[in-house]
Amino acid sequence: MNKLYIFLKYFFIVLWTVFVVAPFLWALTTSFKDFQSVNGGVTYIPWVDFEPNLEGWKVLIKSPAKGGVDIIEPYFNSLFVTCTASLISIILGTLSAYALSRYTFKAGFVKNNDITFFFISQRIMPPIVLSIPFFLFLSSINLLDSLTGLIVVYIVLLMPIAVWIMVDFFNKVPREIDETALIDGCNPYQAFLKVVLPNSIPGLIVAGMFCIIFGWIDFFFAFILTFTEVQLLPVKIVALNSSVTPWWSLSASALVSVAPLIIVAFIVERYLSKGNLSGAIK
Amino acid sequence: MAKIDLSNISHSYNPNDPNPVYALNPFSMTWENGNRYAILGPSGCGKTTMLNIVSGLVRPSAGRILFDNKDVTDLKTEDRNIAQVFQFPVIYNTMTVYENLAFPLKCRDFSKSKTDERVNSVAETLNLKSFLNSPARKLTADQKQLISLGRGLVREDVAAVLMDEPLTVIDPDLKFRLRRNLKEINEQYKTTLVYVTHDQNEAMTFADNIIVMSEGEVVQTGSPKELFERPNTTFVGYFIGSPAMNLFESEASSNDSVKINNTLIKTHTNLSNLKTKKIKLGIRSEFIKIAQNQNENLVDVNVEKVEDLGNYKLITAKLGDFTIKSKVTRDTEIPSSKVKLHIPADRCCVYEDNKLI
Repeated sequence: MNKLYIFLKYFFIVLWTVFVVAPFLWALTTSFKDFQSVNGGVTYIPWVDFEPNLEGWKVLIKSPAKGGVDIIEPYFNSLFVTCTASLISIILGTLSAYALSRYTFKAGFVKNNDITFFFISQRIMPPIVLSIPFFLFLSSINLLDSLTGLIVVYIVLLMPIAVWIMVDFFNKVPREIDETALIDGCNPYQAFLKVVLPNSIPGLIVAGMFCIIFGWIDFFFAFILTFTEVQLLPVKIVALNSSVTPWWSLSASALVSVAPLIIVAFIVERYLSKGNLSGAIK
Repeated sequence: MAKIDLSNISHSYNPNDPNPVYALNPFSMTWENGNRYAILGPSGCGKTTMLNIVSGLVRPSAGRILFDNKDVTDLKTEDRNIAQVFQFPVIYNTMTVYENLAFPLKCRDFSKSKTDERVNSVAETLNLKSFLNSPARKLTADQKQLISLGRGLVREDVAAVLMDEPLTVIDPDLKFRLRRNLKEINEQYKTTLVYVTHDQNEAMTFADNIIVMSEGEVVQTGSPKELFERPNTTFVGYFIGSPAMNLFESEASSNDSVKINNTLIKTHTNLSNLKTKKIKLGIRSEFIKIAQNQNENLVDVNVEKVEDLGNYKLITAKLGDFTIKSKVTRDTEIPSSKVKLHIPADRCCVYEDNKLI
């Protein structure tokens, strides 16, 4: 019974691993292939099935004048926009979430929960609804086709995620912790910064991870709010496409664009499994 | 350390409602410096509200709080210099044990050497010395509660240490030792300790003054002996003592005696000014004994059961429709099912409208 259980457990783990890893391996091998080895029947193993070459990767860094697409600048643009917008969203979101979790607000019939829902409802709206307002808004303040403009828009998109996750998280941090900090002589700001915030690191990490993911993968707003001056990675990758689908360079670009997320996932996973909050009270 | 005056305090959680519900009805009380107080009452009687008012987490709807005659009603929690320990241990789990204990001093800008000295001395008292450098979250629940306590005790000048059922999560064995520790700390540092509990044994063994509360009302304040021997109300008689006080619905039959089940019981209470004849006679089961050679205040009862509770026997008997309980020493022989019990007149408490006369 026990052996069967272990066997089944590992069987499904292996199955799942294959399911998850296979596309990456596929992309990795494809990125080293040329037209012949992609279209001339199924090939798997480099040097045996096909002769690897670096063409697919070279296209990504060659300047357009030499027939490449040069994703280096868009890559760093994307990193900069995502990180800045995520950071600002996390800071603003955490502060508003703490206030929503600990203080009572009331404006007519609108109360804390309604305000929290207002934040979340921003994400329920389909992005296309926002495209024209955002376009007009950015053009009226001269921020179209600029990194700053994109950061502003991304903050609007990411902050609800941060608020949503952090309100939930702060609600789970016992109030007694704040109260104890006050009794111990902190003012409310110190209580937040020195006691509540350090206890909320797992929440901050989760919120940060979601912000980074949603910021990094956004294509829609990056596409409609930029033209020539500034370009972000997802938009640039689409530019790779041509009449003959370049599977090799698309695969290579797919790998470079998921790389940051994989790194983030590896760093974050360690903190999440630590369970920093367990045992704060009780 | 301070004398704490609560003057005409009352509190409602919905004061603007046309029919506010009061969690605390108006009361006044003084807590002398250096004493040990226990606030005792069933769940939801307003004990925690009272503590939170003193610590400033809750602002009372009415009334003033004075620390050493200085009005602190509008002072914020952080400026009151009070310590509070909650029912469940609250620790700062990103810090080490040392940092936890030092936190209240750090917030008040104590010098490094002074902090060191205080933290070490408190850690010594609470047996936390060997854990000082380990992360606080790695400790067991009772050790965590010790940290909470320690944070309260680390400030020498603290006005009072308020404890809200602090020993709930702690092993019975350690509980006993900790209560002793708390007593010693109180004697050594002369810290005013206020201890909220619903466990009468805890209150009786810990405090020299007990405040009994019921439904937002302070029903009686006094030493454990006073509460035990002369409960102010039938509630206190019922709530304190195990088993609860024997209470008999009865009628006054003369100026100093009442009638229960056709038996005349003499009391030392003057019953001439009663408004009604309906009264209750209360007597602790500890004072009821099997009659030896007394010739008055005797009742004939039918023994229903005798429980051997280790160091004493508990007799449950029927006196007409009433149940009467008597606590006798272990070696007492209980002759048969019919027994004569003696009710000492000086131990009888008479209640009119559930209040002692």
